Amino acid sequence: MLTLGRGFCIITGASKGFGRSLAHEVSHLLEPGSVLLLVARSGSLLEELKEEIYSFTDKQQLAVHCVTADLSTREGVTETVRVAKQEAVTELDHVLLINNAGSLGNISTFGSFTDIEKVNSYLTFNVSSALALTAGLLQVFPCRADLRWSVVNISSIFALKALPSWVLYCTAKAARMMMFSVLAEEEPNVKVLSYSPGPMDTEMQEDIQRQSGIAYSLFPCHVSAAKLMKLILDNDFPSGKHLDFFEV
Amino acid sequence: MSIAAGTDLGRALCIITGASRGFGQAVARHLSQRVSPGSAFVLAARSGNDLRSVRAELLQEYAGLLVECVEADLAHAEGQARVISAAKQCFSADMDHVILVNNAASLGDVSRYTRDFTNMAEVDSYLSLNVSSCLCLTASTLEAFPQRPGLRRTVVNVSSLCAVQPFPSWVLYCTGKAARDMMFRVLAEEEPDVRVLNYAPGPMDTDIYASAKSRTADPNIRRSFTAMWDQGQVLTCDESCTKLMKLLLDDSYVSGAHIDVYDV
Repeated sequence: MLTLGRGFCIITGASKGFGRSLAHEVSHLLEPGSVLLLVARSGSLLEELKEEIYSFTDKQQLAVHCVTADLSTREGVTETVRVAKQEAVTELDHVLLINNAGSLGNISTFGSFTDIEKVNSYLTFNVSSALALTAGLLQVFPCRADLRWSVVNISSIFALKALPSWVLYCTAKAARMMMFSVLAEEEPNVKVLSYSPGPMDTEMQEDIQRQSGIAYSLFPCHVSAAKLMKLILDNDFPSGKHLDFFEV
Repeated sequence: MSIAAGTDLGRALCIITGASRGFGQAVARHLSQRVSPGSAFVLAARSGNDLRSVRAELLQEYAGLLVECVEADLAHAEGQARVISAAKQCFSADMDHVILVNNAASLGDVSRYTRDFTNMAEVDSYLSLNVSSCLCLTASTLEAFPQRPGLRRTVVNVSSLCAVQPFPSWVLYCTGKAARDMMFRVLAEEEPDVRVLNYAPGPMDTDIYASAKSRTADPNIRRSFTAMWDQGQVLTCDESCTKLMKLLLDDSYVSGAHIDVYDV
């Protein structure tokens, strides 16, 4: 497959880093009549991104909508679902949801995590939000045999590998991997991919270096974003699979 | 490296969550049979009455056993604090083992599919009890009883096959169990002196099993739960506990490993 077809694509955490790269990659792969929903907390960064995309793409071909939403809140999730419903078009080949929004959390010793509100807050944003948003969008675009549905979970090697001092991040990524595996088992008409993008030149990596002192050798976001898009276009993996940037 | 390998679990402070019924109750009973005199138990659950019954049961066997019941909602800071406070009160300097059994859990609504979980508050609430409370209680316990020579620390996570295998219509339970397994694997990596066990107890005749059998939306899963029950393949809590005790006494498992009852 060379394009994503006439698609409705939702990308969370779209204002920066990997999400922003994904928005660019996706915009080149959508057919005329497509809709791109960009979700993040920063309305101004999203508007900038929208302008960038329109400098390459005809507005007639692709409708880009910015949703300023805090996905750690119920209101943010329901607003995103509301806008999706509002902007839904009838003639669609493909719905593509990329659950990219996520946070690092504190890199700290296990024993430091005694505050349940802080742990809850982290899990709300990194786990609950992805579930509620995915469910909400599955309700907006109910599965049918003639509609291609793709759900991407932006994962990490640390969904599989335990790393000392990274309990929050590892726990949330492991939770998400299982959550999307269950979805894959349940929905034969939804193609689910957990994609671990590798270490990229993002603010999150700067935060990792600041907190842990570890500096990974980084790839530009667009390299990993392009790989993810190729995986989705080739569509040659079993639903629910976890794939890593370095494996493909 | 165990101090009193194979014979008993030492003079232990045992903290057990969800101790009022089911597997937690059985764990309390089995541990009480394997600890030395001078041990203490902190039993936590939401039902004070049920905890007191468990306490009475333990005291019938071991009259001198110190058993504290903490009626608490572990998903709240206040409940957590009371469990830690009771644990500190029960601890004595001549104890050589702290054992925390993270057993409290809920099934979540298995009558619905992933696409139906649009209510974030429901998911938050589930994760708070099944994931956050477990992390915080374990962290607090390790902080309250830090490493020192002569003190073994063992943390058990009551896990499940669902931690490693996705079950249709069980998104909350699977997600929570997978999260917990990873959480404890991180602990095992960080703290080599803490013995960490992710124990999957198998299908047992508990309230969770009854709910699973009657409410599971996925027809195949529901059928298999009914079939296991009808064919007598469901374990008693005692049977599974016996295996857990063997693991703890042998103390030779790799810290952080996921071990299923059928592996023992």
